[in-house]
Parts: sequence; C-alpha cells; structure tokens
Amino acid sequence: MEAGSSLSHKSEETEAQGDTVCTEVKEHDAEATNPEDGIREAVTEEAQNDECEGSVCSTEEEVVPDEEKDASSDKELSDSASTDNTLEDSSEFSGRPLVVCEKKELCSPFGADLVSSHREEDVTAESWRMHRKHVFVLSEAGKPIYSRYGNEEALSSTMGVMMALVSFVQSGNNIIHSIYSDDHKVVFLQRGPLVLVSVSRTLQSEIQLHSELLYVYYQIISMLTQASVARIFERKKNYDLRRLLTGSEKILDNLLNLIDSDPSFLLGAVQCLPLSSSLRESLSQILQKATTSNLVFSILIAKNQLVTIVQERTVIDDTRLDPVDLHLLLNLIRASSAFQAGEVWTPICLPRFNPNGYFYAYISYLDPDCTVCLLLLSTDREAFYSISDCKKKIEESMATHNSIQAISSALQSQSYSISLLGVPDLRHFMYKPLDIPENHKQLTQLTSPEVEAPYCSEEEKVRLFDLYRYLHSRIHSTTRPLRLIYHVAEKETLLAWVTRKFELYTCFSPLVTKASAINAITKLLRWIKKEEDRLFIRNPPKYTTASNTSRGSRSSRGGSDSIDNGFLTLL
Amino acid sequence: MAAGTQCKQYPPTLLSFFIYNPKFGPKEGEEEKKILFYYPNEQEKNEKIRNVGLCEAIVQFTRTFCPTKPAKSLHTQKNRQFFHEPEENFWMVMVVRNPMIEKQSKDGKPVAEYQEDEILDTVYNAVLQQCYSMYKLFNGTFLKAIEMGGAEILKQRLEKFFFRYLQTLHLQHCDLLDVFGGISFFPLDKMTYLKIQSFINQMEESLGLVKYTAFLYNDQLIWSGLEQEDMRTLYKYLTTSLFPRHSESELSGRDPPVRMPISGSLQHYGRFLTGPLNPHDPEAKCRFPKIFVNTNNAYEELNLIVYKAMTAVVCFMTDASIELTKEFCCELDRLVGPQLTMLASDICEQYNISRRIAGPEKEPQFKFIYFNHMNLAEKSTIHMRKTPSLSLTSIAPDLLKILGDINSDFARVDDDEEIIVKAMSDFWVVGKKSDQRELYVILNQKNANLIEVNDEVKKLCATQFSNIFFLD
Repeated sequence: MEAGSSLSHKSEETEAQGDTVCTEVKEHDAEATNPEDGIREAVTEEAQNDECEGSVCSTEEEVVPDEEKDASSDKELSDSASTDNTLEDSSEFSGRPLVVCEKKELCSPFGADLVSSHREEDVTAESWRMHRKHVFVLSEAGKPIYSRYGNEEALSSTMGVMMALVSFVQSGNNIIHSIYSDDHKVVFLQRGPLVLVSVSRTLQSEIQLHSELLYVYYQIISMLTQASVARIFERKKNYDLRRLLTGSEKILDNLLNLIDSDPSFLLGAVQCLPLSSSLRESLSQILQKATTSNLVFSILIAKNQLVTIVQERTVIDDTRLDPVDLHLLLNLIRASSAFQAGEVWTPICLPRFNPNGYFYAYISYLDPDCTVCLLLLSTDREAFYSISDCKKKIEESMATHNSIQAISSALQSQSYSISLLGVPDLRHFMYKPLDIPENHKQLTQLTSPEVEAPYCSEEEKVRLFDLYRYLHSRIHSTTRPLRLIYHVAEKETLLAWVTRKFELYTCFSPLVTKASAINAITKLLRWIKKEEDRLFIRNPPKYTTASNTSRGSRSSRGGSDSIDNGFLTLL
Repeated sequence: MAAGTQCKQYPPTLLSFFIYNPKFGPKEGEEEKKILFYYPNEQEKNEKIRNVGLCEAIVQFTRTFCPTKPAKSLHTQKNRQFFHEPEENFWMVMVVRNPMIEKQSKDGKPVAEYQEDEILDTVYNAVLQQCYSMYKLFNGTFLKAIEMGGAEILKQRLEKFFFRYLQTLHLQHCDLLDVFGGISFFPLDKMTYLKIQSFINQMEESLGLVKYTAFLYNDQLIWSGLEQEDMRTLYKYLTTSLFPRHSESELSGRDPPVRMPISGSLQHYGRFLTGPLNPHDPEAKCRFPKIFVNTNNAYEELNLIVYKAMTAVVCFMTDASIELTKEFCCELDRLVGPQLTMLASDICEQYNISRRIAGPEKEPQFKFIYFNHMNLAEKSTIHMRKTPSLSLTSIAPDLLKILGDINSDFARVDDDEEIIVKAMSDFWVVGKKSDQRELYVILNQKNANLIEVNDEVKKLCATQFSNIFFLD
C-alpha cells in the first residue's frame, strides 16, 4: 500500500518544479470589515514574495539541476523559518484563521473551546489514560508534531521513548509494528521522516489502526506534500514541523473523530446523499456546463455528504479519485469553519492521486446557511478568477432550477430510516456494492441507514460501530479471510457476507433465527437493487475542458515543494 | 538450495529466551546482574543487556497508558516477543522468529518474506506461561530460590531446567490446545470408577506416607487428589514428556515390560516410571523427582512416584522431607503391582463393552474440539496424537488458526455466544460458548448452507454433548 505507487513515476516530474503557492482569500462582501486587515496585508506581501520566487523557479527548465534545486529549497527553508518567526511574534495571529466567520453560531461544530481543552489536558491524569484512542505524530528526531489529546510539549518525553523504540528495533535491521497488552494495542507506522503511533483501547485490529494512521499521514501530506516534508527533514533533522501545521490540529482532530464514527473510512468508500436520480442528474449537468481550462473535478457537497462529482474526461481515463482523497477533502471542509466566510482558494495535495503535487481548490458555500458547498479543483494556480466565474455560473443555474431548495428538502434527514425497508428484526446494515459498471474507474461507495434504536446513546452507537469493525477485521483478515460470519451474541446477532458483487454487514435483534435472517438479507438486497439509483451515484458524469488534453493533471504543474502552502494563513 | 527451487518455508522457531529481574542491577554498569537466564548463552554480553533493556523499555512504556496491565507481546517484522511476569519483578521473555518463506530473487540472492500474521499471540502467551508452570512444578518459585541461596542458586536451577526444557518446546506445533491446557478425561462407568476409588483409598491407607494420588488410564485422567492447577501441569508433564519417553524405550525393547516374578510376589506387570527400575535389585537407588505444589499457600515439596501396569498409571506423592527407602519401594511394588494389573484389565474390558454398545464408528462429517473451563476437561477429534515432538492434526493449519481467532473473540465477553464462519476454502467452522464450555466444530460440507450447518451441529450436540445446553 505504498502511497500513490501507481503514480510514483510521475512524481519526479512535479518534484522538479520549485513552484510555490499562496492562498488567497477573497472577500466579496465589501461591508465586511476585517479586523486583521493589517496582518492580511503582511501575509499577502509574504505571498507575493513567494510568488516571485515561485515564478523564478517555474521559468526554469523542466529539469532543474541538482545544485540549483538544493539552493532553492535551502532558501525556502530559511524563508519559512523567518515567516514562522514573524507569525509567532504576532500573538493575534497564532493559530487563528485569517478569515473571520461573521456568523459565529455557524462555525464548525468542533469549536476552538473543545479543541483547546484537549490540548490542555493533564497528561499524567487518569482521564488522559482512559481515552479510547490516542494518536501521536512525531519526527524521526523524536520531536512532537501532533497529539490527539494533551499538549505535545508535555508529551515530548513519551514521544521520545516511542522514537527510541522505533530506532532501537530498526538498529537490529528490523521494523517495529505493534505492542499488545491486555487492554491496549500500540501500533507504529513510519512513513518517510514521520512516525505515527496509535495507542488504542478499542478492539480494532492492528491493520485497521494502521490504516487510520495512514489517513493521518495523508492528511498531513495533503497540506504539505510528501516531497516537501522529506526535503524539510533532509535539510534539518530536528525541524519543528508544528510551525507549518499551526492551526491544522483541528483538521487532524476532526479526521480522527470522523474515523471513529463514520463507516466510510472503515470500508474505504464514500456515502452519498440519497437523491432522486433526476435531481442528481440535473445538478451534475449544471456542474458539467460550468467549466474552464484546467478544471479537473467539480464536487457538490451538502452537509458533509457527497451530492455529485463531475470529472474531467482525460483525468479519469486512467485513474479515478480515490475515496481516501475525497475523505480528506470532505474532512478539510468540515473541519474548517473559515471556509464559510467567502470564497477560498487554497493549494491541496491529493496524496493517493499524487503525493508530491498540488491541486488548487476553490471552496465556496452556495447558501447562506452554509449547507451546500461547492468544491472545484484546478491544476492552475492562477485560475482563481476563472474558477470563481464558474461558481457564478453554477450559482445562477442552480437559482433558476431552484436546486438549493431541492437539496435542502433531501437533507431533511441525514440518511434514511431502516423502517423504510420493512424488514423485521433488521436493525442496521452497511452495504458496499462491488459490481457497479466500470467500477474500477468509479468511486467506491456505500450505503447505510441512520443509526436508530436501540443504538441511541453515544455509548451504544460506539458499541455498534465497534461490532462492525470487528466483523470487518475478521472477514478481511490478511492471512485468514472469510466468506461469511454469523455471530450470535447477547445483545444482537450479526451477519457479515462478502461476495464478488458486494460486501454486506448487518445487525439483527438477538432473537432472530438463522432462517429469518437469511430471509431478511434477501429482502434487503432486493430493496437496495430497487433503490440503487437513489442511493448511489451510478454514472459519474464527465466533461472535457479545452486546454486539458492528454496531459492530464498528474503531470500538472503542481507546486511540489512549497512550505508556506497557505495553510498557515488560512487556518 | 538448488537453483531450480523457488522458495523454502521456515516454521516459527525459538530465537531467544531470557529471564530477568530489573531490581537486581539497577545501577549503570551493573545491568548484567539483572539477567538470571539467557538462551542462547553464547550471545554476546552487551547484546544480552541491550535486549533486556528493550524489554524493560517496552514494559515501562506501556505502563504510561495502563500502569497495571503492561505489554504482553511485541510484534516486529522479523519476530515476536512475549512477556510474562509470573512473580513480581521477575520477567520471562520468549522471542519467536516469524515463519518465513525464502524466495530467490532475480539476481539469485535469497529474499526472506516474513509471515507476520501467521502466529497467534494467545497460543504463545500460553506456551510461555506453561514454561513457568513447568519450572515451578519441579523447582518451586523464583522467590523461594532467592530466599534459600540468593541469585546464584536461582541461576543454577534455571540453567539446569531450561537447558533441557527449551529443546522440547516445538513451537511450530503449538495451537489452540496449548491455550486451553486442558486435561483429557477417561470416560468410565460408575462401577469401575468406584473400584478405582476404593483401590486408591486402600493404597493410601496401606502405604501410609502418601499425601496425594492421581490415576490415569490410556494417557487420560480418571482421578486426582491434587489442586486443579497443579494437576494441569503434572498432566502435561506426564503425557507429553514422561509417558512418551517410556513408550519409546518399551518399543525399542530396552527394558522388558514384563518382569519375571520375584519369589513370593504374584506375577504382575507393574513397574516404576520414576525411581528404581527394579526395587528388588540390591543396587537400585530409590531417588524420585521432587515436585512443588500449592505454592501459593502451603508450599509443599513432594516426591513423585509414577507407577504403571499395562496402560494404567498411578501417581503417588509423598512428603519430600521423608526419604523413601528401598523397603518402601518394594512394599509399593508388591502391593500395587498385582492390583493395578487387575484394574487395568478390568477397565479395558469395560471400555470395550461400552464401545460395542455404541456401535461401529462412522467417519463423521465433522471434527471438533471441546473444552470446559471449570474442570479443564478437553476433547479433540482434530488431534490424532499429541506428543511433544509431533502434533498430528487432521485439518489444515489455517482452519486451526480460525479456531484460535474465534477463541479470542469468545474471550472478550463473558456472555454466551455462537460464531459460524465460512472460510475461503469453503469449510464451515462453528464455535459455541455456553457458560464455561467451548465447542468448536469444523464441517467438511462445502455446499451446505447456513441452515444445514446449523442442523448438523445441533445433531452433534445432541449425540455428544446431550447434557450441555448450547445457545441455539
């Protein structure tokens, strides 16, 4: 599962470009007085400097001579260090979003209070130990980068021990994978210069915890790119990466919270908002019509759920948007209340697509309540204004079609109720189709109803999700995979079934008989078949933009090495 | 390896095994004092110290998150380490190399591919705990040895015991049965059972010195006066070490199974498996192995007398502080020999009768393992023979590991549960847990569906375990 292995041959190409990136936040509302105007100006200046440097680099030959490359990255490092210092000096700025959300009540549910309270936790207290799952990120030099709970500084000795264990085992030409105790699993993952550690009291398998750490790694890479992280630590072994991730703890926190509750991470699939196929089609058409050169993905999201996704034709000729990348994007939008303020233009790396290049993401909400969000991905750093025009076009056609209202009514409920199916004893299920036409070129999807009684309390919800994780780990065991599991326990009966056509995980009341469970499954499969046009995006539409020819976006001019990639200023 | 062969498979093997106490060399430069036993002894001193240091660090590190439940195993690409603290501050560590496949790379160099997920923690944790139980049975606790003669005595005992014991581990054959560590009981009718009990009472009475007695037939236990935990370890020793050793020598004909009657005594088949080969031999030495039982409270040291006639075995345990004389051994031989020979043939007869009533056995469509946590009773039709060097199983190792997985799933909750799975090979595996009992069934009916499998297992429960209620 090497990151983006299929694309790695392309990465060198992009790596050779010393392009730098800046983030621009456009406030169209002229009346909005920004108290941090002064800072913004300062930052814009920085950005302009970067831009200058970037343009110098990009005018160079495709292949930059080694010395030159070194020189430019040297400069970047020192530059970024100085940027950091100025940022650290400015107390107003530290870790706060540049864009101030005017409607405070609409800010992200993962408010700053909650986050900071986790950060200030006493790491020697019993309550800290009792957390179900800790996640730590550190550098090879043992420097703390991130801790899910508690302040990294306070945990620096613990993280030092982790690094010592990793390097001790490494010195014996070996690799540390995990430590098991009676109620904990500690899982280690090393990726490049980063070491990620999960300490979990859940019953998840090592492989599951491992893949979660990989998500955390990818989220970091999506902000910095793999190449630039590697370069930073090549230059300076004990670099403090937190300088570049200031403010992004929230994104990682949110990611980990999602991973612990959202089945799409477990199944490596995306759940879309159930919509009538005609509505979805009309929305897709609206997106399809609003294109500009270098636009590669147009994505419509409502309340964190995928509504539709339209892709540039040549891009998906030989690849598709990996669910992992889409999860990272959705998480980014979900975790950042800053995006609600206006139009946002930010570089973003899609690690599964290409861990070393940037896309440029345009993010804007289309309704005052910030429920419907438009995400446009371009390969051109300079395309903000043309992309913004696309959004206007989309907004206009959606207004004529009354689309926002149609989406809102579909959003009445998050998903759908199991009672719709009329299958007795069936309490909940997760279904992942594997037989979608041209599946390999499409987004892997799943469908699952709302979690209802008796899984109402937070505790019970967690318990149900843990059961699904258990089924998943057993049925997908690397060494002893299974075709079917039927598990009768005190509180429920579970059935998991993997065929060539689908993966299905079901939860029944404990008194169901085997015969009636099988009956229920038959009914369920029939219902899904009937509803599949509503539950899944069957045929993701495509468009062709003029200038995007055979190059595709992977060979795009994604700035690979920028350190100040804009997240500094954005979050 | 010949150029033609593509890959070579290596089973899991013991890499190292050590015992340390971090309190014994707390100062820098004195780390070597912590090490009480280290296999392989040839290992360079600094390497030993480093490896012990890693274990200490791992244990300490996991205490950050749960002070009372430190690490039990460390998984790395190449090996797995198991930690066990049987007595406070005394740590036993077993390092097992992962099974691996050696493949030829294109340039002809061998490339090792480690199969990290092939070994089960529960199995090897149990093996490590067994190591301690076995040591304790023959040597008493670590602490007692320290109290008696300091670290030196303990080191000597560990060296003497583990040098031999580690050779008998045979890690590649360990499986779910090691997790259970159960005892196979011999099924018997009431009459014969009473006969045995009366025999034991009579012998204890006549021999005087006997504190505990155990009776086995055909390597299966019938009666034991020992505490369950002690019997479990003793049973393991008898069936996997002492008995096989003797049956091997019987087969090779080194000592004749039937002794000529000595004048005055009745002809019988009795003989000592421990102690003197022939007590009537004037040269015979009456030395018996010592065992330690009830180490948590009474801490008793006993002589272990194992006496066998045909396939019946009786173990007498006497207080070790009273030296056993040649006269005692002769007396025992004279008293027990003829009676045990009689009993053995009685049991055999009874057993054959009950088998005949049950009718001829058909090769069933299923194999099973049963274990009862309350009395440690275990029954397996999967294992045809289990000796220390060889475990003959009739099913694929992967299926046996699925049983191990289901067992770990059961261990997580106390409730009654049932798990039915279909493996990739289309075999069905059913696990049932009821109260303290566990039953695992493997069905070789590839085309069966869930309901048919369920019916099949129901039938099995009705015939084999009619008195046990299993969750339906």
